Amino acid sequence: MSEEVKQNSYWKSLKELSRNEEYEKFLHREFPENASEMTDQVSRRSFLRVMGASIALAGFAACRRPAQKILPYSAMPENMVLGEPQFYATGMPFQDTVTGLLAENNEGRPTKIEGNELHPSSSGRTNIYHQAAILGLYDPDRSRAIHHNGERASREEFIDFVREHFSDGNRRIAFVSGENSSPTLSRLRNQAESAYPNAQWVNWEAFGEENSLEGARMAYGQRLRTVPHFDRASVILSLDDDFMNPWAHKNSVINAKELNEGRQVRSVEDRMSRLYMVESNFSNTGSMADHRLRLKASEIETFARALAERLSRSISGLNAFSSVNNRFTDHDWVETVAADLLSHRSESLVTAGTFQGAELHAIVAAINLALGNIGQTLTLHELPHDSGRTSVEGLRFLTESLQAGEIDTVILLGTNPVFNAPSDLGFPSALEQAGTVIHLSDYIDETSRLATWHIPHAHFLEAWGDGLGFGGHRSVIQPQIAPLHDGWSDIELLHLIVDREWSDGYDLVRETWQSFYPGNFEQQWRRILHDGIDPESGFEPVSVSLNGNFSSEIQSGGTDPVQGIEITIRPHSTIFDGRFANNGWLMELPDPMTKITWDNVALMSPATARDLGISVERGLSERDTPVIRIEADGETIEIAAWVQPGHADNSISLTAGFGRRNAGRVGNGVGVDVYPLRTTDSMYIQSASVTVTGQSYEIACVQDHHSLEGRALIRKATLEEYRENPDFASFENVHGYPIPGLKEGIAEGGDRPISLFSPQQFPEHEPQWGMAIDLNSCFGCGVCTIACQAENNIPVIGKREVTRRRIMHWIRTDRYYEGDADNPKALHQPVPCMHCDMAPCEQVCPVAATTQSEDGINQMTYNRCIGTRYCSNNCPFKVRRFNFFNYTKEYLTTGDDPEIIQMAMNPDVTIRFRGVMEKCTYCVQRLHRAKLATRRETGSKKPADGTVETACQQACPANAISFGDLTDPESHVTRLKRNERNYVMLEELNVRPRTSYLARLNNPNPELTQ
Amino acid sequence: MAQVFPKWVDSIPKRLLIGIIIVLNGVVFGIWYFFSPEFTHMGYAPEQPVPFSHKQHVSVLGLDCQYCHTQVFESRHANIPGTQTCMNCHGQLATESEALAPVRESSDTGSAIEWIRVYDLPDYAYFNHSAHVNVGVGCESCHGRVDRMDVVFQATPMSMSWCLDCHREPEKHVRPVDQVTEMGYNVANQLETGRDLVAKHNINAPLYCQSCHY
Amino acid sequence: MSKTYEYVPKPALVKGDHDFSSLTSLITDINLRPTPKAWYVAFGIANVLLLIMLVAVGYLIWQGTGIWGLMQPVGWGWAIINFVWWVGIGHAGTLISAILFLFRQDWRTAINRFAEAMTIFAVMCAGLFPAIHVGRIWVAYWMFPIPNQMGLWPNFNSPLLWDVFAVTTYFTVSALFWYVGLVPDLATIRDRIKSRMGKVVYGTFALGWRGSNRHWWTYEKCYMILAGLATPLVLSVHSIVSFDFAVSVIPGWHTTIFPPYFVAGAVFSGFAMVLTLMIICRKIYKLEDVMTLDHIEKMNIILLVTGMMVGFAYGMEKFIAWYGGVEYEKAIFMYRASGPYAWAYWIMISCNVLAPQFYWVKKFRRHIGLTFVISIIINIGMWFERFVIVVSSLSQDYLPSSWGYYTPTIWDVMTYVGTFGLFFTFFLLFLRFLPMVAVAELKGVLPQANPHNYDKKGNYVPPKSEPPKPQYES
Repeated sequence: MSEEVKQNSYWKSLKELSRNEEYEKFLHREFPENASEMTDQVSRRSFLRVMGASIALAGFAACRRPAQKILPYSAMPENMVLGEPQFYATGMPFQDTVTGLLAENNEGRPTKIEGNELHPSSSGRTNIYHQAAILGLYDPDRSRAIHHNGERASREEFIDFVREHFSDGNRRIAFVSGENSSPTLSRLRNQAESAYPNAQWVNWEAFGEENSLEGARMAYGQRLRTVPHFDRASVILSLDDDFMNPWAHKNSVINAKELNEGRQVRSVEDRMSRLYMVESNFSNTGSMADHRLRLKASEIETFARALAERLSRSISGLNAFSSVNNRFTDHDWVETVAADLLSHRSESLVTAGTFQGAELHAIVAAINLALGNIGQTLTLHELPHDSGRTSVEGLRFLTESLQAGEIDTVILLGTNPVFNAPSDLGFPSALEQAGTVIHLSDYIDETSRLATWHIPHAHFLEAWGDGLGFGGHRSVIQPQIAPLHDGWSDIELLHLIVDREWSDGYDLVRETWQSFYPGNFEQQWRRILHDGIDPESGFEPVSVSLNGNFSSEIQSGGTDPVQGIEITIRPHSTIFDGRFANNGWLMELPDPMTKITWDNVALMSPATARDLGISVERGLSERDTPVIRIEADGETIEIAAWVQPGHADNSISLTAGFGRRNAGRVGNGVGVDVYPLRTTDSMYIQSASVTVTGQSYEIACVQDHHSLEGRALIRKATLEEYRENPDFASFENVHGYPIPGLKEGIAEGGDRPISLFSPQQFPEHEPQWGMAIDLNSCFGCGVCTIACQAENNIPVIGKREVTRRRIMHWIRTDRYYEGDADNPKALHQPVPCMHCDMAPCEQVCPVAATTQSEDGINQMTYNRCIGTRYCSNNCPFKVRRFNFFNYTKEYLTTGDDPEIIQMAMNPDVTIRFRGVMEKCTYCVQRLHRAKLATRRETGSKKPADGTVETACQQACPANAISFGDLTDPESHVTRLKRNERNYVMLEELNVRPRTSYLARLNNPNPELTQ
Repeated sequence: MAQVFPKWVDSIPKRLLIGIIIVLNGVVFGIWYFFSPEFTHMGYAPEQPVPFSHKQHVSVLGLDCQYCHTQVFESRHANIPGTQTCMNCHGQLATESEALAPVRESSDTGSAIEWIRVYDLPDYAYFNHSAHVNVGVGCESCHGRVDRMDVVFQATPMSMSWCLDCHREPEKHVRPVDQVTEMGYNVANQLETGRDLVAKHNINAPLYCQSCHY
Repeated sequence: MSKTYEYVPKPALVKGDHDFSSLTSLITDINLRPTPKAWYVAFGIANVLLLIMLVAVGYLIWQGTGIWGLMQPVGWGWAIINFVWWVGIGHAGTLISAILFLFRQDWRTAINRFAEAMTIFAVMCAGLFPAIHVGRIWVAYWMFPIPNQMGLWPNFNSPLLWDVFAVTTYFTVSALFWYVGLVPDLATIRDRIKSRMGKVVYGTFALGWRGSNRHWWTYEKCYMILAGLATPLVLSVHSIVSFDFAVSVIPGWHTTIFPPYFVAGAVFSGFAMVLTLMIICRKIYKLEDVMTLDHIEKMNIILLVTGMMVGFAYGMEKFIAWYGGVEYEKAIFMYRASGPYAWAYWIMISCNVLAPQFYWVKKFRRHIGLTFVISIIINIGMWFERFVIVVSSLSQDYLPSSWGYYTPTIWDVMTYVGTFGLFFTFFLLFLRFLPMVAVAELKGVLPQANPHNYDKKGNYVPPKSEPPKPQYES
């Protein structure tokens, strides 16, 4: 991990890097000769889109008025209104699922991703990977051309090569692909296997679903996908299952949505499900739990066995465990949780973490079966595309046959095994045995370096494709823009190899889908393109019974807890297994719990830290953190240690995906690569020895203080307390005295505390915008931050600037710890601008650059701002962000062809220049669009409730954010603000925020509460 | 000892004082006028790739603005027409004209004609045509007598205070929506009709920053 | 019972037996004699510092305020601290010349010129910071109410705007006041200087002063009026500077005690700075007869008084924080004394409250060396006072999530150090080319100036100082 690179700020790093000769070579080989050609292609293919961007961005071109061009279409497309965005359905493939999305297009370039309401894997919501996909599409580091042995080659050359090379049907080919549910790919795969009898097919995912499938096999006798339905469960036990987060569960969006539906409390009558969490690391799913037990990851299976034993006393189907007797048998958790589960048969749900062993999954499967939950709170489905073996088995088999020289051609459709294969396989060296390696990938990555042929991969917004949702719903992936860099989709490449003739993805997909709708294909096809999904499709639920030899399997199997210190390896919360490492938005998104950006760290509990001699206390002024050396199976890494309150003792959590060598300008050399520690027999959990190196390392953490200091910023109660005292969250109840000045205010005939300032007058004809954030729903995933970043052209500033506490995010999620220092509760609070009616920032701006609008928005007028930063100082919530440097310009004009990244910008939002303040605007550009539309249709300026959403609100899977017109007494937000749980932060300041919060609730089990 | 200064020097302070006052006023006036868009931007008339004459097409041939600027009622932009629109007529008319070569080339190759933007608002000013024409702000009010222009030039200052003048007193400028494209619109009782129209469309032109800057 | 009183004569303001001409030459010869080498050395150093400042500011404007240590939540750092500090220093001058003048404190004559010069240069240094600390300096003129095509005025609610007016007014009046006082002395130099060049230059600025009765009459009136005008400004300018903080909602800033507290602090640091410079100059330029120990003692007494006022303010802030019972305010005052910035707080306390306590003892009040050291300590202390107010309050305000620790960068330091270059460049020019003591006024307080000290024939008879006869015996 070269210090120099990591210290670089985002796009500046290009300048720095270009001084380093290694990069020089890279640069010369990759870009110059084709740079011009590149831009030509762009200007030829999509000049209009570029125009759209460059006009939107001409702002910082010069202070003097540039002579701008207007390039009209030569033939105007039908029903396109310039300046009005168009939305098309598409879907994002992730491993073997596809989530239906809508892409917002401006003048023909996709600029924003939204969820697709019709799609059951999205239902209108998204996760951080979906939101960040836009930046991925316009990433200037994406591979731009076919390469043969590192030299640029033409498409024709490759096609000729394919014709020649694959004319021999006996070639011993290995196809390597990620998990993929595309029917078209499956179809072509079958063709391939018949066309090349000696071919073998391997699916490789560094972090897949395999253990869950394997667990199902052990319990039910068949490999089945478990689809949880949290809304139907009233008692949920999660065994190390971080199911609300995209890096831990493929269906996280729906899980979060459904869990929240089960916990929505609008009145004292409402019911609320109860969530028990048993985990090693402190996940933000865990922070939502009513009860949380921290155990070493390797102990959780032991715990599950004890639980199963306890259950087996009351219900049949768990006899396999009746003899179990371990250290958890008499644990009070086992007792109470078992009782709670038993009293909620068929409406309870037990889930196991994706990265736990197959045995745990098997045990959990058996428990759910015994509790009668199957078909109720969870359903089981066969996977048509299931390879039948685990990724590791597949890769091991491939490696062995490579070493044995049984393979002459390897074709990798995506995937990056050279980077993320288990270290003991020695895959990279084995790959060199193959005569020909063809690698299709987005970047010239670690694997491409060893490939004979590298083919640029088309982004999912560039190419036709298809796939199945988590529940099996068939969706079409519809391109939004022609491939920017002549990329190919995996189906196109595969088809070329099978058939040695080029065919467009569009035809390939249509060909597949014709078989689904033999009758009225064209009509169906049009409808599906419009909706993005076939609602009738979807997996059939499978009914199961307990596997005959379950008991023998489960008793033979099973791993004992790790003695001493264990390490767990998980995908990273923002860049997953490393595939998103070059995405600046994700790199700079703070981890939900640690709030760290631009690095991965070794998480450990305070106790473990003390044992290792690492100081637990962290002063406000401290930036550095000690580096530890972790040794497992002879492999060693050095990584920064980070104390995570609530983490299990003697357990260290590592996240993979960092330390990329060939990710791109953003990801290269950032963080530490932990894959070396990973071996085929211990993929997720293993024992390790840890020592402190004595070095220290700077971490960019966006939150330096983690205690609420007893301030009533977040208010919460248990369900019982709420029922007894519904307005527990009101100022008077919290502080014990009424709001200062309120009495006098009422005396003066108002309903607000008195103020020196004359209150704002808001005209009748304008809507009055307001927001309510339900802290009972927010679990801190951070998708609001990325959605906001995408919508509002917020720059990425790089590690150095983040370390200086200059992060630009308009909406942040504060995370506080509360209670026992070793095992605290964690609270999440999204904080956008509060849009105060009597805003302190407005009073102090010397040039009136920030003022109140007639519709109640605290407006920040960039072009008037002179940058005194007084407003930010005077903001009690510190939500204002200052352009200390020309961040956006650096971010958008460095690189060989800036117009590529510029195309990601939203033309409706001004690009902010150096030295101006910025902050949340309630997505004023959307409000304006809605107001104008309503005005044109009805003559009124007040859009109907629900017709306008802010970016954060629209993205939030937990539906935590509500926004709307406060003058409409029936609008959703008005009703929420009438709710007893509604409160505003710092009410005593009498700044009258438009953004309020709904207090958080918990539903603890009286049996367990100490 | 010898006098250093002659007598006339005594009058210098007075002169100086008066001089300074005059110069200062000159400077203030100079900046006020010569640095304002009214001086710097008005009359900006770049040469276009095609010498398209609005005068010819509007006053001679009597085309309505909307024949070409089709989306002005529904879009932020009063769109520049696609080449197709030109070819509707020039497919038959003046097919050999030298001046129209770029148009023909564009319609053959599909490449765009590169018009030069005349009315160039800063990127932080979001002007929406539909919002204005739909409540009866005439094209003419901002673009001047286009029907008299052989070469289009910027007819109005487009300065912020100029916008505000109308936003403060719309009744002085609005006209019936069906006459927005009419050139040389003029009624004796503008104020009365204006007030009626303001009431009719319940026009309340916003004056807060974010109605244009966001 | 009987009691005998020891008669202490009022100490002469000018020591040594000086008459008008000897005073004139004592002071103006400094400007007339050829420039000493040492001056060039000092001037060279000052210029280097000035250059550093120019570089720092240039780079700042090129790169943006990001080169400073500023961040979220601390949006104001050294720039504003230095601004307040320099303005504070800029207080002594006008206070000495205007207020002491109105109160007929004749001893001011020895130091007022000098102090006013310091004031003006200090305010110049101060004025620099608000200008350069903004993000877009090229539009900073929007802070002034100038008619423009946007049809916009500045926001008259904003304390920053009041600042602009307060500081510019203060600067103008001080400069005017200073210049008017200079006129007679400029004339003196004009008449004594040999070179024609000199005569022309000094003559020009002497505005044809001939010392006629009418001139003196106008001069006195004018001076009196300006003194009257300047007096309220002395109080207003720092009160308004304090509003920048007092008017905000940030705990630790939002405090009603700020205006008097800031003015006291300003006088405190101002006098300290005057002392520092004075002690150097009187030594170098052999002005012990004019700037006497009595002066130093008097000023030390003022330091003691204002120091105690400041100390009282510190205490009162704490008391109110506790008594007012606002949790956030309580918290910030706890953190100041015990939090991450405690070191700065305790430097402030020891420099500003403890150091002046020496002055209870007459011996110390009249001890040059000690005075010199303490005067410097006080200015360090006052800088830290502003640091504590500006930084610590911001770094730990309402939402703990946004708390952050501010550290300056090399560029903050360079800019600050650089302003000393600006200050001393001007100050050295002043020492070299202008009379550093108001000769004309000083002559006015000589016994020779008192008509009672002449006998019938018009010969000067020095005033006697004898003990009066005892009134009665018992």
